[in-house]
Amino acid sequence: MKCLVYVETHEGKAQGGSLELLTAAAGLGEVKAVVLGSREAAEQTAAYGVDVLLAGEACCPDAATALLEHIIGEEKPQVVLMNATLAAKDLAPRLAHRLGGGCVTDAVAVEADEAHGVVFTRPAYGGTVLERLALTSAAPAFATVRSGSFAKPEQTGNGAVTEVDVAVAEDAIRARLVETVTEITEMVNLEGADIVVCGGRGMGDAQGFKLVEELADVLGGVVGATRPAIEEGWISRAHQIGQSGKMVAPKLYIACGVFGAMQHISGAMASKYIVAINKDEAASIFDVADVGIVGDVHEILPLMIEEIRKRKA
Amino acid sequence: MAYIISEDAKELLKDAKEFCQNEIVEQAKQYDITGEWPREIYEKAIEMQLHMMDIPEEYGGLGLSHIDQAAIVEQIAWADAGVAVTLNGNGLALKPVLVAGNEEQKQKCCDIIANGGWGAFALTEPDAGCDAANGKTTAVREGDEYVLNGRKCFITNASVADFFVVTAMTNRTIGTHGMSAFLVYKGTPGLSVGRHENKMGVRCSTTSDLVLDNVRIPVENRLGEEGTGFATAMKTLDLARTWCAVIGVGLAQRCIDEAAAYSKQRVQFGKPICRHQSIEFKLADMEIRTEASRQLCAHAITLADMGMPFSKESAAAKCFSGDSVVQTALDAVQILGGYGYSREYPVEKLLRDAKIFQIFEGTNEIQRMVVGRAVIGKL
Amino acid sequence: MNIFVCVKQVPDDYVEVHLNPTTGTPDVEGIDQVNNAFDTYAVEMAVRAVEAHGGSVTVAAIGPEKCQNGLKNLIAVGANKAVLLSDPALLDLDEAATASALASLIAKCEADQGESFDLIFCGKESTDEISAQVGAMLSETLKAPFVSSVVEVEPVEGGVKAKQETESGYAVYEMALPAVLTVAKPAYDPRYPTIKSKMAARKATIPMLTAADAGAVKQDNRVTCLGYSEPAKRQAGVRIQEKEAADAVAKAVAMMAEAKAI
Repeated sequence: MKCLVYVETHEGKAQGGSLELLTAAAGLGEVKAVVLGSREAAEQTAAYGVDVLLAGEACCPDAATALLEHIIGEEKPQVVLMNATLAAKDLAPRLAHRLGGGCVTDAVAVEADEAHGVVFTRPAYGGTVLERLALTSAAPAFATVRSGSFAKPEQTGNGAVTEVDVAVAEDAIRARLVETVTEITEMVNLEGADIVVCGGRGMGDAQGFKLVEELADVLGGVVGATRPAIEEGWISRAHQIGQSGKMVAPKLYIACGVFGAMQHISGAMASKYIVAINKDEAASIFDVADVGIVGDVHEILPLMIEEIRKRKA
Repeated sequence: MAYIISEDAKELLKDAKEFCQNEIVEQAKQYDITGEWPREIYEKAIEMQLHMMDIPEEYGGLGLSHIDQAAIVEQIAWADAGVAVTLNGNGLALKPVLVAGNEEQKQKCCDIIANGGWGAFALTEPDAGCDAANGKTTAVREGDEYVLNGRKCFITNASVADFFVVTAMTNRTIGTHGMSAFLVYKGTPGLSVGRHENKMGVRCSTTSDLVLDNVRIPVENRLGEEGTGFATAMKTLDLARTWCAVIGVGLAQRCIDEAAAYSKQRVQFGKPICRHQSIEFKLADMEIRTEASRQLCAHAITLADMGMPFSKESAAAKCFSGDSVVQTALDAVQILGGYGYSREYPVEKLLRDAKIFQIFEGTNEIQRMVVGRAVIGKL
Repeated sequence: MNIFVCVKQVPDDYVEVHLNPTTGTPDVEGIDQVNNAFDTYAVEMAVRAVEAHGGSVTVAAIGPEKCQNGLKNLIAVGANKAVLLSDPALLDLDEAATASALASLIAKCEADQGESFDLIFCGKESTDEISAQVGAMLSETLKAPFVSSVVEVEPVEGGVKAKQETESGYAVYEMALPAVLTVAKPAYDPRYPTIKSKMAARKATIPMLTAADAGAVKQDNRVTCLGYSEPAKRQAGVRIQEKEAADAVAKAVAMMAEAKAI
């Protein structure tokens, strides 16, 4: 089976979640990667032993769509994998439509299957249900895959980087990008974190949320947040865990003032050890926690920070 | 079991429920602590028209059936009884106008409320609570005007009202037949609002004294004829009592829901406490009382809608609902045990909110007098 | 501005959906069907645009007759017209087939009103399937400009300007009309209906079109569902409930250390 991985770039570098897809693709058959606009990222990708097609830089999503449409049309892979970023979630369905294929969003497993070629597993209904999907059309199957679903591959020697010369027709640009603003500059590596401390609505206010940051700090962990905490503006959306945020799988996950709605907790279910603090005994977070403390976060957290500081000292 | 309502009303009820969940339940906790009048909640409630359910359709009202309205009022009271009391205050102020007012007065007061204003009904006085006929407030006619003097107390919405229905004695020598009712508008010289009562419960509602110091109003502000004020007030209270009972039912339902939820997850002696019969039976009694209260309300509303006498049924509903909600709130506190007594948990507020339902809009002693006299009839 | 908003009815996402043990499919029986949250944001954005700049908002759904209910609820919060494409042939559509049917419905509405739509809105994703594909595919079908996760839109010379929420901030696009935009959560909440607008909307009749009426031909699904499963369940562990917070913390930290979590 021919498989093409689209490696997205971030500031010229190959984005980690995209590289994980090389592992997924290796399980399916012959792998090629495609990179837009960055030789550095192309070479970084080739270091994992795959051949890379390098096309020009895309000035906007419409240009990226046009470039990839052309390359995929030439390459005719059976499967195209992309990391499930917001940008890729736009690209995949548009390309699928142009090339007559089907599209799967947010796959967490990709397996070769004798009867169906390839079978994708993806969450639905806030993560309580997993669907197994197969593609029925002969055209390429597109899938966006969640970060953390596959391990990063080993670097196994060099593949070739081949430049492809594709021009983007002027009329391919329908929506003109006039401004890009970066409001969130911090790099939040939730996916790779060993310890995540997550705060929810129960933290009360921005001041209360600082306790979450403090605990994360003493533990050397990363701060996570639920959607309500983000909508309240206590922390930037780069920290969001759950259905509409990141999926995490740390060794320790501490949920503070988090009720445990499925939309959130599905993003943390892969954690090894879950500790929950909530004053509401009925909070559903307690159903999945290894240790559940019934109590007020504002009382518990300062003491816990103190206790852990003592142990670390 | 709840009120049996139309499909359309079920959709309305869903909206009301969503509104209550998003805008009242959490917010009311803070206002309960501060005792501040939650203007932001009311502004949103007004946008949704939850403040004008008592305006008849012919005066620009919504055209809801009274049973549909009861279901919505119950839902609001479930979220916060004080908010329901405030919104219901408009209904209480409108009723005497609708009972005794002329077309012009009715339209004017309905318009004030429809435009987001508030009304207040001022009957009670420091020395005239249950014994309303003992009022000291006077209205003396001078030419085309009346001059009002006196002091009213425990007036819901007084500090925010745009119009007041005030009862006053036009003749102090003939008892109840000397009482008349008047419309007084906000801003009338001599009209002032006393301090806001720091209440035990229903703290999202505002209650204050109303002071009338040589308040001059035109004769056309009189509601009905001179001497009909007491009858108007009694008709008003007959109608209003049922709504008071409806609010009590909503509060009682909240007690049941909080207690049931807690009893399902609180484990003692190896099982959820709802599996202990002592708790299960308590929950059953709470439900039985509350459903009985609700159906007394439904019955009184149906009789009123049919134009049949409902005074006894309305008093019975108010009395039973008031007594029931207090017992049900006590039971809820008991089921939550130590947590029930803690301000960290929602039920202690419910108990504080509940007590007023045995007191306002006619104490339950008065309701028993109404029912008792109806039973005994003429000796 | 004439705006067409595509709306999907989904099981209320306050309720957890699990598999029916007998059928092995998601058990949504008894869960209220509601308008997808992101679609309600799209309707609010559309209604605000029309209130500011004139025009009308048409809301549309594909589904069984009972979807009329959700559309009526949108009329109560400002939509001017509603239409339901309801046909047994159009059940269980995948995203591409949905986009194709919507394109036919849009063409049919435009022909009937003798005016074309300037903007087509979808929610950025639905809370049931969460695939975020239909809007993108619809833009391809219509060969129209596309921007996802829009939180603000305003008219500019020759088209509209749309602000898109991105992972690290936002991006602004300009485009000619008609355009397809998917809507994320804007800075405001959808309005509540008034009791009056709701009661009036309840009396509205929602035109129902068959596939033939709308000139829609069912496109074969490209994606099929082979089956469902539930993610592995976690067992609840120890519950600590102490009078003194310090005791609770001491216990919890000891357990965390024992489990080598810290």
